[in-house]
Amino acid sequence: MTNGQFGFFGTDPWGIVIVKVLGIFALLVLLTLFTIWWERRVVSRMQNRIGPNRVGPFGLLQSLMDGFKLALKEEIVPKGVHLAVYWIAPIVSATMAFVAFAVIPFGPVVEMFGTYTPLQLTDFPVSVLYVLAIASIGIYGIVLAGWSSGSIYPLLGSLRSSAQMISYEIAMGLSFVAVFLYAGSMSTSEIVTAQQPVWFAVILLPSFLIYVTAMVGETNRAPFDLPEAEGELVGGFHTEYSSMKFALFFLAEYINMVTVSALATTLFLGGWQAPWPLSLWEGANTGYWPILWWLAKVQIFIFIFIWLRGTLPRLRYDQFMKFGWKVLIPVSIAWILIVATARVVRNEMTISTTQILLSGGIVIALLLVASWLLQARADRKADAKEQEFAEAQARPFDAMAGGYPVPPMPGQQAELTTRRATASTTTQEAIDG
Amino acid sequence: MNVYTPILVLGLLAFGFAVFSAVIAPITGPKRYNRAKVDAYECGIEPTLQPIGGGRFPVKYYLTAMLFIVFDIEIVFLYPWAVAFDRMAVFGLIEMVLFIVTVLVVYAYVWRRRGLEWD
Amino acid sequence: MTFVEANTGEAVVFWICAILSVAGAIGLITSRKAVHSALWMALTMINLAVLYIANSAPFLGMVQIIVYTGAVMMLFLFVLMVVGVDASDSLIETIKGQRWAAIFLGLTLTVVLVWGIGSALAGVPAVGLEAANREDGGNVQGIAHLIFTDYLIVFEVTSALLITAAMGAMVLAHREHWQPKPTQAELSQARFLGAGHPGNLPGPGTFARHNAVDTPGLLPDGTPAEVSIPGALKARGDVQPVDIEDVHAIEEADSL
Repeated sequence: MTNGQFGFFGTDPWGIVIVKVLGIFALLVLLTLFTIWWERRVVSRMQNRIGPNRVGPFGLLQSLMDGFKLALKEEIVPKGVHLAVYWIAPIVSATMAFVAFAVIPFGPVVEMFGTYTPLQLTDFPVSVLYVLAIASIGIYGIVLAGWSSGSIYPLLGSLRSSAQMISYEIAMGLSFVAVFLYAGSMSTSEIVTAQQPVWFAVILLPSFLIYVTAMVGETNRAPFDLPEAEGELVGGFHTEYSSMKFALFFLAEYINMVTVSALATTLFLGGWQAPWPLSLWEGANTGYWPILWWLAKVQIFIFIFIWLRGTLPRLRYDQFMKFGWKVLIPVSIAWILIVATARVVRNEMTISTTQILLSGGIVIALLLVASWLLQARADRKADAKEQEFAEAQARPFDAMAGGYPVPPMPGQQAELTTRRATASTTTQEAIDG
Repeated sequence: MNVYTPILVLGLLAFGFAVFSAVIAPITGPKRYNRAKVDAYECGIEPTLQPIGGGRFPVKYYLTAMLFIVFDIEIVFLYPWAVAFDRMAVFGLIEMVLFIVTVLVVYAYVWRRRGLEWD
Repeated sequence: MTFVEANTGEAVVFWICAILSVAGAIGLITSRKAVHSALWMALTMINLAVLYIANSAPFLGMVQIIVYTGAVMMLFLFVLMVVGVDASDSLIETIKGQRWAAIFLGLTLTVVLVWGIGSALAGVPAVGLEAANREDGGNVQGIAHLIFTDYLIVFEVTSALLITAAMGAMVLAHREHWQPKPTQAELSQARFLGAGHPGNLPGPGTFARHNAVDTPGLLPDGTPAEVSIPGALKARGDVQPVDIEDVHAIEEADSL
């Protein structure tokens, strides 16, 4: 079956499909092992330590040995777990992490064992949505792990995690809209092709920044690693998991890092296309070379992940939610409207670049002034409220104001009658011991 | 072959790997029973019998989940709009502005009533 | 009505997904645990999505997964909030004859739906979505064309639905704050100005045999430090006594 515009996809013979599947699987496992080692080494350097350097050259085999060690550890299944769900959760997490990679393009059409085939497992008109869909099934792994453990820390961790992921998924979803608008497609291979002269990271810089922020929140990585905040929640959702089931969660987390980085590369950094000085060379975008450029771009994102972890402290939960809901979402929506308007103006009217830039500048200036005015007003209101509160506190509480029994106003302290006062002191003492 | 078949192949491989890993651990690992080990982890104290708040959770999460659905549906409409944007031009833009503004009304309401603040 | 013959692959997908989604639906209504019901529902929704994709409606399929996983997640959270982590259904009828009324109404709805949809579709030639997709140059473009021209009013009215949903959640779930929330700076000031202990309290259980938060730490003179135990544990009566043997063992170890 051919698919019109997706000529090459769905026409591979079985042998090629199996080679590609095995290749992706091996790549992901190797990248995970490498990333764990790389992260430990880089963070060590940032903290003036050396990091793992004993097993194999430069300690490269450290994560592999850790994996073997985990397999040889006792698996402890606590007694309060819901067994079926407890087993399903890591399997869902790991499977979905692998599957999401099916639509990532690694390179152009190449010759493989005598057949012409694109360096991408498959593609269809809505493949970016497919990644989103698989990611949202992946969240279930985390939520189910927390719920089925029958323990408090995992449950808290998983609830936090689900609230966090859904909050940042919106920002992430909104950042795609501008890309779809410019590419006129939701398929990964067409989006890469649409970035032929300029990458979307350049023309759609705000979308790119929003996506990069949201992707860190989406993967539960520092500084947004609240679901596994060690100081508060022990290990978060995987506290009650040990041995290989824990390893599966760990694997899923690192694969998800690679997946969101690969998606960022595909949507904003031109996918497998060679960056500028290299693109001068004719053969840069042919054959198997693009895999190298792709890997380099993904590694840049991975390094940013590690860098962030080594640099930033964890956000407080309320700050984190505030940032997601009050900054990322409105900014994304405003940006979508700006992009759409600019595109209509460019398509429909004969207007020069200077005029577009000028009007854009005016809009931004207006927005700045408006936001400043709003902020000033909010500050004034907060001051007034504080003053009111202080005044209310200063006024003594009259339980029979206006001749009726009334509750205390906000900030007023109700004076307790003697009997209740005694009772409440006793309770307080009982609590204090 | 269908465009979706390769996904199935990858999915089967990943699923097999995950199941294999989950099943192999109880076989390769040692088993040393200890009553304290199978307790839920709670910093060493006897696990709380009754979960916090009778096992119930702050209703706050519900508001977040509901807002998520609202925005999710908005995004779902935005995607086909973005893909087909060039054909609809000004008309499409006006339609979407109307839609977004209506949804933003409730967003502004929730914001003003401090529904977006977490405590 | 004319039918388009399904090929083998499609038939296989249909039978697997149809059975799984019906199994999920049955699981949904027969599970005692509300959380299990939510999971069965997720299974049904994902299988329906696969069926949509198999019927060349990939956009709808993906959207089904994205929106419904979120929706089921919300149900899940709602269960946790309202009925508790381990809640299960009680089978006591609160309204008399409820079960029979439900069965009767359910069957009536089924008949009405089957009859209504059946008669509406009779005589409509089934051309398959592939032909419909080709018309606008793709599935997504086709959907966009329909939503933003023919069904424009419906689309705009959807926003009213969304408003209602968010408004309802806000009214039901929001708790008004009567006092300004203390900031971190204010909290710290209160701690230092107040009569209490400004710094960290001594840690619990440091020298005890039972190395846990429910055992008081020992002061240098060997007496247990009461402040090292969290108040909640005291109120619950979960405090372990200090074993005098431990104190002796520590003294001996120190004198060596």
